[in-house]
Amino acid sequence: MGIGTYLALASVLFGIGAAGFLVRRNMLIQLMSIELMLNSVNVLLLAFNRAYPGNHDGQLFAFFVIAVAAAELVIGLSILIAYYRIKKTLDTDDATLLKY
Amino acid sequence: MTIPGATMFVVTAIFAIAGGLITIWSKRPLRAAMGLLVHIISLSGMFLTLNAHLMAVLQLLVYAGAVVVLFVFVIMLIGPEAEVGPIEGRLASRTLSIAMVVAVVLALSTSVAYFDAPWVEVPEGFGTVQGLGLAIYREAAVPFEIISITLLVAIIGAIGVARSRTE
Amino acid sequence: MLLLIILFPLGGAILNGLAGRYLPKAVVTLVAVGSVAVSFVLAVVSFIELYGMAHDHVEHAALGYHFYEWFSVKIPGGSVVPINVQFAMDSLSGVMTLVVTGVGGLIHMYSVGYMGDDEGYPRFMSFLNLFMASMLILVLGSSLPVMFIGWEGVGLCSYLLIGFWYENRDYAAAGRKAFVVNRIGDFGVLIGMFILVGVAGSFEFVDINQAAMNGEFQGSFPVWLFGMAPSLATVACLFLFLGCTGKSAQIPLYVWLPDAMAGPTPVSALIHAATMVTAGVYLCCRLSPLFITSDFAMAVIAVTGTLTALLAASIAVVQREMKKILAYSTVSQLGFMFAAVGVGFFAAGFFHVFTHAFFKACLFLGAGSVMHAVHAHGDADIFKLGGMKKYMPVTRWTFLASCLAIAGFPLTSGFFSKDEILLGAAAQIYRGDNALIHGVGWFVLIGLTLAAVMTAFYMFRLYFLTFTGEYRSADQSGDHPYDAHPHESPPSMAIPLMVLGAGALVVGFLGLPHVLPITGTHLAEWSWWGHWMHSSVAGQPVPEELHIVNLASGLAFGAMAIGISAAWVLYRNKSEDALQKMIPARLYQLAFDKWRVDELYAATIVNPLKKVATAAGHADMTFVDALMTKWPSFKSREIGRLLARMQNGVVQMYGAVMIVGFVGVMAWYWTPHSGIDAEFEGTSVALTAPAGLGYQYRWDANSDGEFETEWGDAASTSFEYEDDDIRGVAVFITNIQSGIEKRLNVGDAWIPLPIESVVPSEFLSPQEIGFEVRIDGRDLLFRKPFARTKTTGGRDIRLPMGRQGRLGSARVVGRPLVEATVEVRNAFGNSSVTTKGIPLPFDVETPAHASLTGHEGEVAR
Repeated sequence: MGIGTYLALASVLFGIGAAGFLVRRNMLIQLMSIELMLNSVNVLLLAFNRAYPGNHDGQLFAFFVIAVAAAELVIGLSILIAYYRIKKTLDTDDATLLKY
Repeated sequence: MTIPGATMFVVTAIFAIAGGLITIWSKRPLRAAMGLLVHIISLSGMFLTLNAHLMAVLQLLVYAGAVVVLFVFVIMLIGPEAEVGPIEGRLASRTLSIAMVVAVVLALSTSVAYFDAPWVEVPEGFGTVQGLGLAIYREAAVPFEIISITLLVAIIGAIGVARSRTE
Repeated sequence: MLLLIILFPLGGAILNGLAGRYLPKAVVTLVAVGSVAVSFVLAVVSFIELYGMAHDHVEHAALGYHFYEWFSVKIPGGSVVPINVQFAMDSLSGVMTLVVTGVGGLIHMYSVGYMGDDEGYPRFMSFLNLFMASMLILVLGSSLPVMFIGWEGVGLCSYLLIGFWYENRDYAAAGRKAFVVNRIGDFGVLIGMFILVGVAGSFEFVDINQAAMNGEFQGSFPVWLFGMAPSLATVACLFLFLGCTGKSAQIPLYVWLPDAMAGPTPVSALIHAATMVTAGVYLCCRLSPLFITSDFAMAVIAVTGTLTALLAASIAVVQREMKKILAYSTVSQLGFMFAAVGVGFFAAGFFHVFTHAFFKACLFLGAGSVMHAVHAHGDADIFKLGGMKKYMPVTRWTFLASCLAIAGFPLTSGFFSKDEILLGAAAQIYRGDNALIHGVGWFVLIGLTLAAVMTAFYMFRLYFLTFTGEYRSADQSGDHPYDAHPHESPPSMAIPLMVLGAGALVVGFLGLPHVLPITGTHLAEWSWWGHWMHSSVAGQPVPEELHIVNLASGLAFGAMAIGISAAWVLYRNKSEDALQKMIPARLYQLAFDKWRVDELYAATIVNPLKKVATAAGHADMTFVDALMTKWPSFKSREIGRLLARMQNGVVQMYGAVMIVGFVGVMAWYWTPHSGIDAEFEGTSVALTAPAGLGYQYRWDANSDGEFETEWGDAASTSFEYEDDDIRGVAVFITNIQSGIEKRLNVGDAWIPLPIESVVPSEFLSPQEIGFEVRIDGRDLLFRKPFARTKTTGGRDIRLPMGRQGRLGSARVVGRPLVEATVEVRNAFGNSSVTTKGIPLPFDVETPAHASLTGHEGEVAR
């Protein structure tokens, strides 16, 4: 049950998040999937830091990941709210203004 | 690794995966948010096995305490949205995406699992509040400050974007 | 100096061409006329120098100037012929240069007055100067290519000047017609040039003429025409004559000259009377030694000239417009010149060029003067003129002088020159070596006499109808009447007229006949022209028998008398065309329509070509455009549309694409990249594998299956190879010339040696290919399995390893081959193995110079 297991788990969680992001149509769920992916990265960082505990670099980085994730989520949700007000739907399949 | 550690890991891993699956599989966003909560809490437990005490607490405080709450607020604001199943329309590309992701994950996990670094002893104060705190204030002081500014900016931005325009 | 003669007009052309619009008119005039004047002065100076040389009895006196070597061409037969930009003035080109610059200068002066009010005046002067420069290049060039430059240049200027008033479509079309017809002739000149250089090995006139005189052109042409084998001289001369028909307006390419009257009158005077059209005659005279050697070509020239003279004269007799009559007169007189050339009287033909320049230029300028006076545009209908002698005395007298000259009135210049031509025809009759020459002589004599009658007739018809009688447009009746009050021309126009008119009367005395008719007085020593031309122009001997001379002169005199009297009777002080009533209407109409030659050409040549061009255009649009442009563009648009579906605006699609990209990047890093680089230090080899993040290496330097090192971070290792590590031999085959190298791994079995992949087999001799190679101990063995080499008699060739040998033109060397293996592993745990064969640059101690020579068996080359 070494570090490798943690890495494998992180990969699996990342995959879950990615699949959720790619498949779901609800924007909220997509944002949550992004959080899943960010969390998996945190696991990864912390696992490596545990393997090489000479310094706190991994945990530091994970710290900042959490902070940035929070900030990004705030903005994302506010955009989502604004979008919802206008479009009255959260369906990404309808959000195709960027189409060629 | 110690037996209790391993057990803890396995339990939290199962819950983490379960929570993740609930998140991406639920029809209702509230359920998904709850799944996310489960995921986060179990991850927090996992961090403990990695000697990342402060991180575990922060995970609970920030993620579970703020992020999930934020999600719930937003769900509240928007109101429950009925959605027609998690997968509908564009079936081909969705299947393809899932297949791709599964393939990548399989490949990745099977290869990284062989990373064998010995489970070394951690130095004193590794990952504790004092240890990590000192590291933050010593090595990462500037990013720390910048992070606070970032959060401020995020707040202002959120207000600016989500303001209702009733003038 | 010769170069300066050309450069001044050229400089004037460039200056006026580029900046003339912005300069005041006086400056433009000064530059244009001044440059020609300077050129004339220089020409005179050169001529004097040349005259001095000739006076000192220098054989074939000539001034020369070598400018630079342009380029060189290879001719079949292997030699390289240079094309030098070189100028030479001998007696022929000396006279011609004087004529060109002198008459040209006068016409420039005339143009100041005539074209002064035209808004394209600087452009006109620039083109005139350019024409002068081109003509001078033509005349002064000492070789065919240089002359051809001038030839083309005058063709270009002719186009520019004929179509000077380009806004009028007809004028522009006339210019185009001139250029296109000229071009057909140019083709002839080029072919002729190629034949000449192929035989004579040089482009220079002196060399070609020398070769002609040596009889080098008498060989037969490789291609038989109509079952006959013509001589090289004949074929070359005929092709060159084609060029002459184009430039000098003979049958069949004369059709551009009458249309060329669309240009301003000075243009007609300069180009189509005095200079450009005489370039053809000049060419024939220049190559006279060559032309003389071909009886057939001479006969063709003579007959063509005569026919042209008759045809053109017959058209001129019924024309109604001044310049048209003069144009056909020019064609006719050119026919006279070529007839003279055709009977071998080159000097006489050129003498006619000389005199013709004077009187024809004067006639054209006079016509221009009349047109200027009555404000006629384009051309003047003589039936609307009349009585000009009252209003324009200067023009009238000069015009009369020139008419007398062209008709051949005794003691005018035309009299002497025309006399000589008829004498030449008569001489040919009496020379009569064979039926062809005899017959041609009679034909020319009779034909030219008839043409002379018509010449005198139509010229005086023109004179009488224009200058005598009453001015028919005075009452301003009829449509488009001319100005009611004509006036004499300004001095800038009158002075050239006077100079040229005087010349028309006087210059004849330069070429006195050798024997006076009737009296038989010997004048040969006084005939300056013949002596002068002798050094550069060949020709048939001038007969001195009195009966021949009398025949010729009598016919000339008679022709003139009949022509002038007929015109006097029919047209003096009259106002209608009496001839029209005398000739049947159909005939009259045909002659008036130029015998419908243009229509014939249009129907047989021009229109079919146009149809072909249209068809080609359709084919291009339908096939080429569709295949090359529409189809690729449609296809790429379709592909684009297909790919654009990836951008459907849905975020998840973009995410999926990102994953694809991610996978691609992952694939690169999935397995490590391994390879081996070898460096040699002394006898040990340093092997290096590429570095990468987290890579680990395992080396098996001699590929024996056991890894010498364990997994470690060492990206390089070194090794000393021993004899039992050698796996084979690498044979390197190199080409000496190009350095292409081919490597072959050789073992114990015979392997074919691929020399052809290094040197293409057409460069290899049979002894060099087909070898096989294998190792024998420490040596290489080469053998030719199915043949015996000359010296070896089937023995193998042995080459010690490490020594270089030669197999014909290829170098071979064998090097011992060892193998090294490395296994590289990355952090993902994936590894890759590389095995590489390394040839060692061994220095083996063997006997020196072990190339494949001597008893080892040299490959005979």
